[in-house]
Amino acid sequence: MNLFAFLLIVVSLLSFVVAQLLLKKAMESTAAYGMRNPRFISLVAAGVALMTVSFFLTLGLLQRFDLSYLYPFQGLSVIFITGMAAAVLKERLNLRLIAGAALITIGIVLVSMS
Amino acid sequence: MQNRPRGFGNPWLQLALSVVCVFVSELLLKRGATDVADPQSALSWTGINGLASPLVWWAILLIVASFISWLYVLRYIPLSVAFPLSRVVDILVPVGCWLLLGEWISPLRWCGIALVVIGVALVARPVAQMEERL
Repeated sequence: MNLFAFLLIVVSLLSFVVAQLLLKKAMESTAAYGMRNPRFISLVAAGVALMTVSFFLTLGLLQRFDLSYLYPFQGLSVIFITGMAAAVLKERLNLRLIAGAALITIGIVLVSMS
Repeated sequence: MQNRPRGFGNPWLQLALSVVCVFVSELLLKRGATDVADPQSALSWTGINGLASPLVWWAILLIVASFISWLYVLRYIPLSVAFPLSRVVDILVPVGCWLLLGEWISPLRWCGIALVVIGVALVARPVAQMEERL
């Protein structure tokens, strides 16, 4: 694992996290305005674009590393997404959700260390 | 969540469908990507040469399907609940790699997978109770 590969993993992860937040925002806007409003279309387009970036970077990485080693890095997104959902989307968290997200993340880190 | 649709439109069913599609697509991607791997070429860091494999195209189809289900899920379920639950794939994928791709999983890696199981169960239990009351 060199620094360049690590950087690609980080970029892939970040674009995935931001994409999820954009998509959630997009789907929330459909409740009030339906699917034919410019806000929904631009948010979904941005979300899809970021997920595509993340997808191709992952595909390139898969050619070099085991799937069971690489895949868990995406799992770090759990803690990021849960945190960002609270911070940006104002979703209410409880202790259980935080503990669950933390355990999933620790588990995933263990998997990638081994 | 009170007026959510039932049957095929049930967001929890769609969440499960989305997870299964992601799981199968990951295995297909790994198979497809290694089939056509060309680590010598600089272009291969972009992953674009993976498109030469038909398996990768099947995987893309499944990803699109999972994406549509996922968008539907986001309409009804908070991201901080739906996303951790969707990480059931982090259990399914390594177990699938072990069973189907013949990858070796160390004891420490199994411990990590077990923690993910507990974490997902923690997030899922209040949801199950909430559903019973509805």
